[in-house]
Amino acid sequence: MTWRVLHRWLGLVAGAVALVLGVTGVILALDPVVDTLKSAPVPAGLPVSTLVQRVSATIPGAEEIRRLPTGDIVVYAFDGNRASASYVDPADGRVLGEYQPSTPLRWIRNLHRSFLLDDAGRIAAAGIALAMLLMSVSGLVLLTRRMGSWRRLAGRVRGSLLQRIHVTSGRFLVAVLLLSSITALYMSAATFSLVTVERDAEPDVMSKVDVHADLPGHELPLLQKLPVAELRKLNFPYRDDPEDSWKVVTDRGAGWIDRHTGQTLAWEGALAAKRLHDWVMLLHTGEGTVVWALVLATLGASIPVFWVSGLMLWRQAHRQTPRITDNSALSQADILIFVASENGSTWGFAQALHRALVRNGHRVHRSGVERFQTATATRQVLVLAATYGDGQAPAHAARALERIARQPAGSAPVTVLGFGDRQFPAFCAFAEALDQALRMRGWPQLLPLERIHQQSAQQFTRWSEALGQALGESLPLEYVPQVPPTTPLTLISRQDFAGELGQPATILRFTWPPQHWLDRLRGRGLAHFEAGDLVGVLAPGSSVPRYYSLASGYRDGFLEICVRRMPDGLCSTYLHALRAGDAIGAFIRPNPGFGLDGSRQPVVLIGAGTGVAPLAGFIRGNRRHQPMHLYFGARDPARDFYFGKEIQAWLGDRRLASLRTAFSRTPDGGGYVQDALRHDATRVRELIARGAIVRVCGSRPMAQGVVETLDDILRTVSLSVQQLKAGGRYAEDVF
Amino acid sequence: MSRALIAALLAATTLTVPALAHSRPLTISTTLKNYSGNGAYLAVYVTDAKGAYAGTLWVSGGKPKFYKHLSDWNRLSAGNARGLDAITGASVTAGRTLKVTADVADALVDAGYEIRVDAAVEDLRDSPSEIRVPLTTTNAGKPHAGRQYIQSFTYQLQ
Repeated sequence: MTWRVLHRWLGLVAGAVALVLGVTGVILALDPVVDTLKSAPVPAGLPVSTLVQRVSATIPGAEEIRRLPTGDIVVYAFDGNRASASYVDPADGRVLGEYQPSTPLRWIRNLHRSFLLDDAGRIAAAGIALAMLLMSVSGLVLLTRRMGSWRRLAGRVRGSLLQRIHVTSGRFLVAVLLLSSITALYMSAATFSLVTVERDAEPDVMSKVDVHADLPGHELPLLQKLPVAELRKLNFPYRDDPEDSWKVVTDRGAGWIDRHTGQTLAWEGALAAKRLHDWVMLLHTGEGTVVWALVLATLGASIPVFWVSGLMLWRQAHRQTPRITDNSALSQADILIFVASENGSTWGFAQALHRALVRNGHRVHRSGVERFQTATATRQVLVLAATYGDGQAPAHAARALERIARQPAGSAPVTVLGFGDRQFPAFCAFAEALDQALRMRGWPQLLPLERIHQQSAQQFTRWSEALGQALGESLPLEYVPQVPPTTPLTLISRQDFAGELGQPATILRFTWPPQHWLDRLRGRGLAHFEAGDLVGVLAPGSSVPRYYSLASGYRDGFLEICVRRMPDGLCSTYLHALRAGDAIGAFIRPNPGFGLDGSRQPVVLIGAGTGVAPLAGFIRGNRRHQPMHLYFGARDPARDFYFGKEIQAWLGDRRLASLRTAFSRTPDGGGYVQDALRHDATRVRELIARGAIVRVCGSRPMAQGVVETLDDILRTVSLSVQQLKAGGRYAEDVF
Repeated sequence: MSRALIAALLAATTLTVPALAHSRPLTISTTLKNYSGNGAYLAVYVTDAKGAYAGTLWVSGGKPKFYKHLSDWNRLSAGNARGLDAITGASVTAGRTLKVTADVADALVDAGYEIRVDAAVEDLRDSPSEIRVPLTTTNAGKPHAGRQYIQSFTYQLQ
């Protein structure tokens, strides 16, 4: 959490200033690239002595030769009373033109490193560099969390368009950003003499005055041995000072040469800190390189992208967070409400409860259950907890049980209310676990644990009446179920199957209204989705959405689901009655952990009945021909071989590598999908031992059967489904 | 930029010869050319007839790590004049004039001493001993041009 806060606030504040650094950085990185590309090449192995000879011939009064980082040779001269600086072709000493450092570029560089504010600005720029460093680190931490582990950093990025822009560009550039900010800090430290890069004093050397004739530059042994490629700077001795000497600076150090004898008077090797500084300069500026300079320019250009997308993400998240009004501080509240919610609906119940209690004059504090704690003012604690999947805690509440186990019991009674769905065997299991943990610690309770089925408003109202009675007050609730904003989807085609007796199934294909890319950036309209995510549908007259696994991705251009009509199923009956052209209201719910992460590993897809739908979606989206192997269990090829025709086509175009079917109601059909797996045990074992990913979709008993079968198959290679799940290689979507 | 410091200078920069305590104020005026580059680092100092360092009158530019570019001064003074805040000011922008006052001992005037100015600009050529002017009463008030960065250099003796 703190990483997120750090990343957000540094980004908002320092990021705005970093825009200046980014834009100026692009110009500073690109400008020398042109010079580098068109600089006159230095002939290989050309010694400095030859260069001196050529320059002396073409430029009388030459006083200094420099090799710029771009590779250009510049000669400074003073002839008569006129100072000059010229580009010179090292191949023949020809003057190529006047050297005049660009004034606008100098201004941009000063803006980049000091905001034109001299030392105060330099300190500010160093502060921004530090902020960028912290933003890179926090961004990396957040990215790792988002992707699940370090190893999956390169995987497919899920989420809205804006999130993908921010995360993808961040993943691409975080290393360069880290390097840029660290080198900037080092350069600041060098500027403020916090690190010593060069010796303070030069050696006190003099040419011998008893010899009178000057030795010409091309006869100096040190310069004859030195290639131009290593030269930084060469100073000629002053004409009118017989004691003056030559001074040459190279990548490795500096030397002084007697003007009369040609002897090397002194040689000072570059300090290790100086060499480090040279590397730092190269990494930070990219000067003299082409590819690296272009990488740095890309980084500079991406800073506005980071900032704008980050700002928009923050605003969207801000809009979507449940706004808690009248929330008292923990220490002052007499009633605390703690919430564990998977998709936000439990927060809606908590909100209604909160309002009713505040109306009755209570001071109420509401927070996530992962922050469970009480204060001296606390009189009552209410815990509203939803359960995720197979009896697990919702993601944000993963540590709640540990936290409760670590705390001593307080005197305030704690009442737990569970939310869940009776279709699942682990109905309200997380609420039960919480209640049990609290009782074990010895917390008193006001009401016994109550379980609410399918977000039933009536049940919730009954519970609140009981709560009111226990508190000795009337507690009228105004609960309005919260449903995410829906998008109208139009049915374009349907494919009907006989399915099981009395339970026909249909594959429904919808389209969504055209969406402007700006609206998509703003997070409006139908959210981005991929195969394996869920679509929520509200049947008319129902406030509880039903979720269906998606058999297509946004990129396919349509939204497809496979729906079996359940006896007394309100939503499935509604969907089955749709005809082409009819519209429904729907919204997307991500199903992270089930979708494929973009790796190239083989995939074993195991599905039964309508559970094949998300697997068909994976195969449909497999444009990169990742090896996918489908195990499909159905009853009868004539009745429920869903996506049969498409699957055959995908086999043909290699989106699907292999198909094994099992039909339980036809003679020699092969039994259940587990039987097909067992029949193929050697191959399955080999695939999984080689690192294959497994995705299972179907009914709960089928999923359980698959786990047992695979455990059997994998025993000989000392693997288990449990291990695969822990490694993120095995995921189920069960109904 | 340096005018505010003049009072402080008077005390700090008196170049004295022990036997002769008499001194007089010396006002230096240095106008830079309109070269294209960042602010110039300047060192104004005095050498004797043999070229030996006698003292520093003024340094423009606050970062000691760049002082090696004022190479003659840096070498001759052997780092002696570093950290003398009272005679150090900001670097001088192209086209601007630096005007500072220092005290010099009477004994230095008309005695073979020389005023020198080293100049350096970031990314441009260092210009040690850009100005070398004998410290004499007859030279006072006469402008001198530098080789690289200095348009005109004048000193006044009072």
